[in-house]
Amino acid sequence: MHIVCCVKQVPDTTQVKIDPETNTLIRAGVESICNPYDLVAVEAAVQLVERYTGRVTVISMGPPQAESALRECLSIGANEAILLSDRAFAGADTLATSYTLSQAITKINAAEPVDLIICGKQAIDGDTAQTGPGIATWMGYTQLTYVSEIIGIENGNITVRREIEGGCEVIQGRLPAMLTAELELASIRYATLPELIRALRYEVKVWGAKDINAAPEKLGLKGSPTSVREIFAPPVRGGGISFDAKEKKEQAVEDFLGALFTKEKTLMEEILIKASYAQE
Amino acid sequence: MPKNSKGREVAEVVPGKCIGCQLCIGECPTNVITMEDGVAVIEAEGCIGCGKCVDVCPVEGAILFEKQRKKKAPKAAVACPIEEYKGVAVFIEVQNGRGAEVSWELMGKARELAQKLDTRVFGFLPGYNIKSVAKEAIAYGCDIVYTLDDPLLETYLSKVYGKALAHLCQQVKPDILLLGATPLGRDVSSVVATQLGTGLTADCTGLDIDPECRLLMMTRPTFGGSIMATILCRNHRPQMSTVRPRVMKLPEKDMQRRGEIKKLGFEAARDSLPQVLEFIPRTAEAGEVDITRAPVLVVVGKGACDSKSLPMLEELAHLLGGTIACSRAVIEAGLLPYPRQVGQTGKTVAPKIYIGVGVSGAVQHLVGIQGSDKIIAINTDSQAPLMQIADYAIVGDYQQVVPRLIEGIKVRTEKEASKG
Ligand SMILES: Cc1cc2nc3c(=O)[nH]c(=O)nc-3n(C[C@H](O)[C@H](O)[C@H](O)COP(=O)(O)OP(=O)(O)OC[C@H]3O[C@@H](n4cnc5c(N)ncnc54)[C@H](O)[C@@H]3O)c2cc1C
Ligand code: SF4
Ligand code: SF4
Repeated sequence: MHIVCCVKQVPDTTQVKIDPETNTLIRAGVESICNPYDLVAVEAAVQLVERYTGRVTVISMGPPQAESALRECLSIGANEAILLSDRAFAGADTLATSYTLSQAITKINAAEPVDLIICGKQAIDGDTAQTGPGIATWMGYTQLTYVSEIIGIENGNITVRREIEGGCEVIQGRLPAMLTAELELASIRYATLPELIRALRYEVKVWGAKDINAAPEKLGLKGSPTSVREIFAPPVRGGGISFDAKEKKEQAVEDFLGALFTKEKTLMEEILIKASYAQE
Repeated sequence: MPKNSKGREVAEVVPGKCIGCQLCIGECPTNVITMEDGVAVIEAEGCIGCGKCVDVCPVEGAILFEKQRKKKAPKAAVACPIEEYKGVAVFIEVQNGRGAEVSWELMGKARELAQKLDTRVFGFLPGYNIKSVAKEAIAYGCDIVYTLDDPLLETYLSKVYGKALAHLCQQVKPDILLLGATPLGRDVSSVVATQLGTGLTADCTGLDIDPECRLLMMTRPTFGGSIMATILCRNHRPQMSTVRPRVMKLPEKDMQRRGEIKKLGFEAARDSLPQVLEFIPRTAEAGEVDITRAPVLVVVGKGACDSKSLPMLEELAHLLGGTIACSRAVIEAGLLPYPRQVGQTGKTVAPKIYIGVGVSGAVQHLVGIQGSDKIIAINTDSQAPLMQIADYAIVGDYQQVVPRLIEGIKVRTEKEASKG
């Protein structure tokens, strides 16, 4: 079985902050990591290969530095890694990104047929689960999103558990298929020293627009229907009343309740009445 | 206007505005732009002042360059005759035979947008036995409901629903299409956008119409919620956007409202489709309550992440007829399960009262609680961001504050009860 995983390098978003004084971005020393959901996808693929034999190829679209995300994937067991890097790819939104990735998968597929694509369900830097379904649509593969368990593969069918509104479903579809991974799908192993060394020595292949036979007008900024018009700091609510329960302790909490039940009289009455019904 | 030592006018990046997309790097003919700490930096000595970086930069004002040049109009990849597209459409999701609340919330927003554009609101309703849902759609503000009624549409399959919605878009040609950011809505929106080759902006927190160009302004958090971006879809239709439940207000239902229901035909390939073998509903007994529906939320943060305190916090929630939720730090600590998480990677909530106990109020948390009526925060640190925005901030150790709160509320509950 041949599995392709699409991974993305993302900034470690915990570190991106807004300076409240000047309303500007502070991004000093922002590190880049492999999107955690994508690592789960790779781990799940490696586990499938351990179960059924096969190979895992990871691909990523990004600047040359994104190579390090691919090495992270190699260190947990991916067999091959390809970086899609070209100036023409820059500025891609989800449509252009899923097009670029599916062009690359088409090329990989021609050399060695692809049975399964696994993507992370979302990227932590703000992307929301749109790339995987986009790839499935371009490729015409069976689409199974929010997968929390791969139950089995048999006779060209894959059976998985999907997390959906109000519960989960067990669903079976034809291969080739595209899955997106929930965090529960697999727990990422620790890389062993030999694997780490292999990952570091591995020569990542780099493909550009020409290598994947891409139509220039569908790539990067040109191929992206959406564009950013402006960015700004998130709106903040104005502050309210503060009660110092450190010094005056008891009294402060009483003061607070007094204020709450006076200022929000109707709201609090309604809440207490509803609560008393709920308790009966 | 900055000049370099050769007296040439050069471009300069404004670090606070640059979003680090790296587009300018590819454009610069002299390769003098590099990334430093996540933002572009132009080496002034090597810059020839051609202005190419300014043309390509997606953020207005991120690169200062005053030399007057004509800005090239962005080329549309595939020109699509935009004038043909009219009306604001809402995808109506069916959950357990009823319209999903988020679809009605969007219907309210769609009315507002349609008013600004002086156009009509459409409902796109694929499903099976959905007459009553179509009627409800009209009551919530829909002018014309287009239904596709077919047994094949009873259970959701990406391929079938994707085709159904793409088909509706091709027939009706709406200018805008809004979908709820539920698991189903996210899944199908991307299929439809890819099939139609149009733009999709996910998880928007604000939607408005630009009064000049009459485009949909889609605002959403980006970079993990640390900043907001307003996104446009200039040359492709429909302009597609998903919005999470509870972000928009539920409009009033008016059963007297009039509208039209139009049934359209639908042909779908029925072979080699995935098959749903089993559906396992999540039940309340399994400890899963829907935190988006509770009127009061007591939100546990890292500062109160202690299994011994949990009963006390639950009691507080219970007294007010609410339930327990938490920050991501508490999920990571394993104290509460993921469906209880509030915030960007958890749920968006809009309770009447939000009580944060030991929650610092990281941006990713705050984006999920913007719609709360009243925010109460309990924290030892008066400078914590949540304390700054709270309507009521109580500075102190929750171990001491919460028991007193419980006592005080009990006294008031009894008073309320004795009143009758
Ligand atoms: C991409 C991304 C997505 C994220 N998504 C989410 C999300 O959806 N939801 C979310 O919540 N977080 C999210 N986070 C994490 C977020 O950045 C914060 O790390 C998290 O919200 C912090 O949780 P906290 O406020 O409980 O903990 P902390 O930030 O550690 O705050 C603990 C607070 O408790 C106070 N405290 C300590 N002791 C006491 C005491 N005895 N009494 C009273 N107060 C006390 C402290 O003063 C402090 O303010 C995300 C992060 C990233 C990078
Ligand atoms: S103005 Fe031209 S030379 Fe100067 S940084 Fe921009 S693209 Fe490069
Ligand atoms: S194009 Fe603009 S936003 Fe993008 S990196 Fe360059 S300066 Fe920053």
